[in-house]
Amino acid sequence: MAPKSMRLIYFDARGKAEISRLVLAAAGQTYEDVRLTKEQWPAEKPNTPFLQLPVLEIDGKRYGQSIAIATYLAREFGFCGKSNIEELQINQAIQLAVDLMNTGSKAFYESDPAKKFPKYFQFFEKLLKESGTGFVVGNSLTLADIVFYDLVFNYISRKVASIEGYPLLQALSKTVESNEKIKAYLAARKPTEF
Amino acid sequence: MANSKITLNYFDIKGRAEIIRLVLTWAGKDFVDNRISREDWPALKPKSPFGQLPYVEIDGKVYGQSLAISNFFAREFNLYGKSNLDGLIIDQVAQLTEDFIQEIVKVIRAADPETKAANQKKVQEEAAPKFWGFYEKLLKESSGQYFVGDEVTLADLIAFDVVTGFVSDFTLPLPDSYPLLTALVETIGNNDNIKAYKAKQQ
Repeated sequence: MAPKSMRLIYFDARGKAEISRLVLAAAGQTYEDVRLTKEQWPAEKPNTPFLQLPVLEIDGKRYGQSIAIATYLAREFGFCGKSNIEELQINQAIQLAVDLMNTGSKAFYESDPAKKFPKYFQFFEKLLKESGTGFVVGNSLTLADIVFYDLVFNYISRKVASIEGYPLLQALSKTVESNEKIKAYLAARKPTEF
Repeated sequence: MANSKITLNYFDIKGRAEIIRLVLTWAGKDFVDNRISREDWPALKPKSPFGQLPYVEIDGKVYGQSLAISNFFAREFNLYGKSNLDGLIIDQVAQLTEDFIQEIVKVIRAADPETKAANQKKVQEEAAPKFWGFYEKLLKESSGQYFVGDEVTLADLIAFDVVTGFVSDFTLPLPDSYPLLTALVETIGNNDNIKAYKAKQQ
């Protein structure tokens, strides 16, 4: 049963909410894209399930945890694979990306950040090679592609990593960017630092 | 999947693999619980998908990432609720637990004894009450005794693992002030399959 109304609540940034926004964009779904200021946050905090953002409000009920939310949206709108095994592969890819993001903040301060990333970018490249379709899993856009795209975008836009030498990952970025609905979303997206 | 051959590869500790073992045990699914010594790991490493443990072999294919694996088996063996919203409730518990584990990683990976002790104190005094509190809150909001109403799902096994598995090595014992969580852990622990499995580990 598709939700009647959805509000995605976050700060005025891409951050942990962007993968959900990208899924909603790819799905052509309307929702309220609520962006709180830093001043508004203290008053809103007690109204969140886990004292954090993003929050997805579905027909009045609030849910937290960015990956849980994005996965729910991906499942709801057909971006989470066509079988349990495909979903396993998608989750595997997403958790790898999360592992990279967890080590990533250390890499920002590491004198040679290129040391941290190649291990993970190699895994992403390997998954793309094994898939052979241009998508991480299956032969169409899934949450795994969106997560890789957003991660690469963040690292490149902040100049902390390069995907030179990862041709399949480069191609994937272009594939996600040129998805018709995502392209329109990105063209209208307000640039933010994070 | 009922006839699939499953091999789980991990060290001979609970760690990140225990949740996978619990899911398969609860489901009554036979699997090869391959426990590897530290000495044998380097030789096995090239066979793993991402140079890490745990990884599973399912009918000859390998997969990594404990969260993805436990999630998959939960879906295969009816431990994932009935709807997308059930899945969201379960995933919230899984992702909260990942956040909890990241606090413990800060203890394990601390560069020096002072940082280690400080991070350990933070886990005991801040993280544990915070996350136990979230599990208790979600159980309170549920329409039944489990996270998803009246049916056991991956979320309940995850909470059981948090209180009895490697996370609990870094926290103080669960106090009385989390009655729903305490009752849940007892209920899960009283399951025949889980009891038999725990007895085997002694």
